[in-house]
Amino acid sequence: MNPTEPTSNETLSSKMKDVIDVLAMQREKRNSLQKSIIVDYTKANDSFTASRFIFECGFKLDAHPLTIATAATLYHRFFKEGDQEGYDCYLIAATCLYLAGKVKDNPLKIRDVMNVAHNTLHRGSQPLELGDQYWSMRDAIVQAELLIMRMLKFQVTPEHPHRYMLHYLRSLQAWFGEEEWSKYPVARTSMALLQDFHHSTAILDYPPNLIAIACINLTLQIYGVVVPLMDECDQQPWFNVFCKELTREKLWEIMEKIMAAYDEEPETRDN
Amino acid sequence: MTEKLRRYEKIDFLGEGQFATVYKARDTETDSIVAVKKIKVGSRAEAKDGINRTALREIKLLQELKHDNIIGLLDVFGHKSNVSLVFDFMDTDLEVIIKDSNIVLTSANVKSYMIQTLQGLEYLHFNWILHRDLKPNNLLVNSSGVLKIGDFGLAKFFGSPNRIYTHQVVTRWYRAPELLYGARLYGTGVDMWAIGCILAELLLRLPFLPGESDLDQLTRIFQTLGTPSDETWPGMTDLPDFIQFKPFPGTPLKHIFTAAGDDLLDLITSLLNVNPLERCTCDQALQMPYFSNKPPPTIGSKLPLPMTIRKEPEEKPSLKRKLLESMDGGSLAKRLQF
Repeated sequence: MNPTEPTSNETLSSKMKDVIDVLAMQREKRNSLQKSIIVDYTKANDSFTASRFIFECGFKLDAHPLTIATAATLYHRFFKEGDQEGYDCYLIAATCLYLAGKVKDNPLKIRDVMNVAHNTLHRGSQPLELGDQYWSMRDAIVQAELLIMRMLKFQVTPEHPHRYMLHYLRSLQAWFGEEEWSKYPVARTSMALLQDFHHSTAILDYPPNLIAIACINLTLQIYGVVVPLMDECDQQPWFNVFCKELTREKLWEIMEKIMAAYDEEPETRDN
Repeated sequence: MTEKLRRYEKIDFLGEGQFATVYKARDTETDSIVAVKKIKVGSRAEAKDGINRTALREIKLLQELKHDNIIGLLDVFGHKSNVSLVFDFMDTDLEVIIKDSNIVLTSANVKSYMIQTLQGLEYLHFNWILHRDLKPNNLLVNSSGVLKIGDFGLAKFFGSPNRIYTHQVVTRWYRAPELLYGARLYGTGVDMWAIGCILAELLLRLPFLPGESDLDQLTRIFQTLGTPSDETWPGMTDLPDFIQFKPFPGTPLKHIFTAAGDDLLDLITSLLNVNPLERCTCDQALQMPYFSNKPPPTIGSKLPLPMTIRKEPEEKPSLKRKLLESMDGGSLAKRLQF
């Protein structure tokens, strides 16, 4: 609560005042968020921060979203197999991005990956000169690439939730009808949740189709949107149309994991 | 990983290309013969870029595919800084068979090769994969007469509407007219065209349209099949590299394939339709009367093989050139040895 927030309108009921204060809090939070958006990666090496590094470098390299998602997935899988202490997480992260570019036919030049990764880690530094440091970093990436391939038993093509999500959203769009659908940015928010969920190792724990459903259902909950015409579905929830076996309990479990991904974000922590 | 090295016992060296070395080996676990393709990792001098892109493509596509008429990727393993791919061992390929003047190809033999090729390709297309480099020496044949489509170095997923592809695919002689006109959005038609050229080559025992340049390739296509017009191929003039050709009337296929029946000519006609949208799909091709008419296709064990394979399969294995050439960037036309 922010006591300094002026209540501009005296006629507001006390109930409304609470609402305004919530808005003020959110504004405050957003301001502080913008200030701390530049992450110092050298200060942490947890999987959340490293995933964030993958996303930041991925955006800078103008990589395709699925390439970045692949890189994050490869990263989590690698550290599921390997010891977190045994490897430099940012070397692995940069390599995952480079390898993902090859896997997704979205080629990223090794030198670009190196320069972006280096500059993101050491903000403000110059591009690497073609010297010993350059070559040893390049060697390290090439070696790490092979290491990742072998650790993952050469299975480096993840099945993405994205394609399921697209299919479900398309169906829901027709289900809702154009007018109802356009009231809320369901597609956009679902995609955002899915992207953010790639910061969490829990992305590996569930099948891609269920992750897609959970992201959409969480979005529907956030906006308080109810899927129409449910009476005609024999009292089944909407998602059972796409996945018969999915139980409400399982779905909520995944949704909680998606929400938990945001707990790791330092700037949104409450204190 | 050293146990993997021990698992595959080297029998013979098959050849060496720019990016790979291929060995014939015995899988000691299953006691079967396999081909091990060892990918070379570049040294620093040749600007190390890590794992070879072509090899990675083969790994990722073939890992998901399993069909009798698709080369099987049995295993992948790494040792030191090498990556090795283990494939089904294939004794020969259609190019060798076509060129071997000791082999007589009956119409039943041709039908058998076509069915096998189309079934493999149908499976690929069903899984949204374009091969993009079909030619006789990518159609591998083993000593039991099973044909398998090989070399997935150029293969690609398709179906994404906004995905732009390069048109520099497919060895020129087997390249569809839309590719020669620079189309960046294309589909299964490019593989179907190549199949048409391969079928023609099986019948003629010579490459059907051996163009010497891209322009010459188009000239040969139109001379043989007739220059398309806006009616026969709508949208043709909008292709990036379109150029107007002199109107050729085309040669009746009956005059080229004198021994072919009408059902076979129908198949060739629909495979070699210059308009990619009118060209038949694998499924449509397999439904055509040719495949249910007589003669029935030869069963695998009765298919002809080069003598070297039948007589002394162990001492003189045919060089599995394909596995090597695929790594040489290989979509350039190879010189014919007459």
